[in-house]
Amino acid sequence: MRKSIIRRFTRTPEIPTASTADVAFLLILFFMVTTVFRATALNLRIVLPKAKSTERILIRRNVTHLWIDNQGRVFIDDSLVPKEKVSSRISPKIAENPDLVTILNIHQDIDYGTVDVVLDQLKEARAFKITFATEFGG
Amino acid sequence: MELRKKRKSTPNIPTASMGDIAFLIIIFFMTSTVFTREKGIKMLLPEKSREITKVKPENVVSILINPEGALKLKAPGYDGIDISPQQYSEVKRIVEEKLLERDTLLVVSLKTSRDARYQAMIEVLDQIKLARVVTQDGRELRANKISLVPTSEE
Repeated sequence: MRKSIIRRFTRTPEIPTASTADVAFLLILFFMVTTVFRATALNLRIVLPKAKSTERILIRRNVTHLWIDNQGRVFIDDSLVPKEKVSSRISPKIAENPDLVTILNIHQDIDYGTVDVVLDQLKEARAFKITFATEFGG
Repeated sequence: MELRKKRKSTPNIPTASMGDIAFLIIIFFMTSTVFTREKGIKMLLPEKSREITKVKPENVVSILINPEGALKLKAPGYDGIDISPQQYSEVKRIVEEKLLERDTLLVVSLKTSRDARYQAMIEVLDQIKLARVVTQDGRELRANKISLVPTSEE
C-alpha cells in the first residue's frame, strides 16, 4: 500500500509539447499568407461618404487606389498628382492589367467638379472599372 | 571504456522554447496586420467615344443635382419634380416604379452640378443602387444602367 503511493509521486505528469511549435508555425504561415500590408499609410484627412448600398470588395490584388483629400488634391500611390495628369499615371497600370479596379477614396465635401475631372481622366486611361469608396450607413 | 560512454549521450537540441518563439512571431503578425477592408459602390464607366447612344426618352429617368443638393427629377409621368435633400428616398421609389414599367431598358442619368458636394451625388447614387423590384415572373430587377453625365455636357 505505502509503496504504491510513493510510486505515484515520483511519476511527474507531462503534457507533450513537441508539436506546439509546429502548430504555432502553421498559424504564422496562415497570417503571413493572409496579410496584405497596407502599401500606403497616408496621413490624409479623408472622410468617406456614407451609403446604404455599400458592398464589400473581395478582390484585393487587382486594385489600385486614388485619393482626393479635403483640399481637392489627388494622390495616386502615395504621391501627389495634378488632377489633369491622372490619366498618364493610370494608363501604364491598365496596360499591365486591364482588369484593374480603381478605388476612389474621395472626401465627402469635395465639389463634384473635381470628381468629374478625375472620372474623365480615368475614362481616357481606359480604367472603366471603378469603385467609389464609401462607409456603411447613411 | 571511455568510447562507450561518449556514444551513450545522444546529441540534443533544446526545442522547448521553439513554441514560445513561434507564438511571439504570431503575436507580432497579429498586431501588425491591418486587414484591408475595402468597401464601396461599384460602377462601370462608359467608353470615351464620340458615338452617341440614343435612348428613347420614355426609358430615361434623368436626375439633376444642383449645388445646394436639391434634385430635379424628370421621368415619364414626372415632369421635373423638385426633391429636397431630405426626400432623397423619393428617388428610390420613382426608380423602382419605372423599373417595373420599363424593365431592363431603364436608364438612369445622373447629372451633378460642378459645385455640388460629392456626398450629395453619392447619396443619390446610393438611392438608385438601392432600388430593386421583383417582377411578376419572379425576376429581380435593379437599375443597372446608370450614367454619370459629365458636367461639361450641356
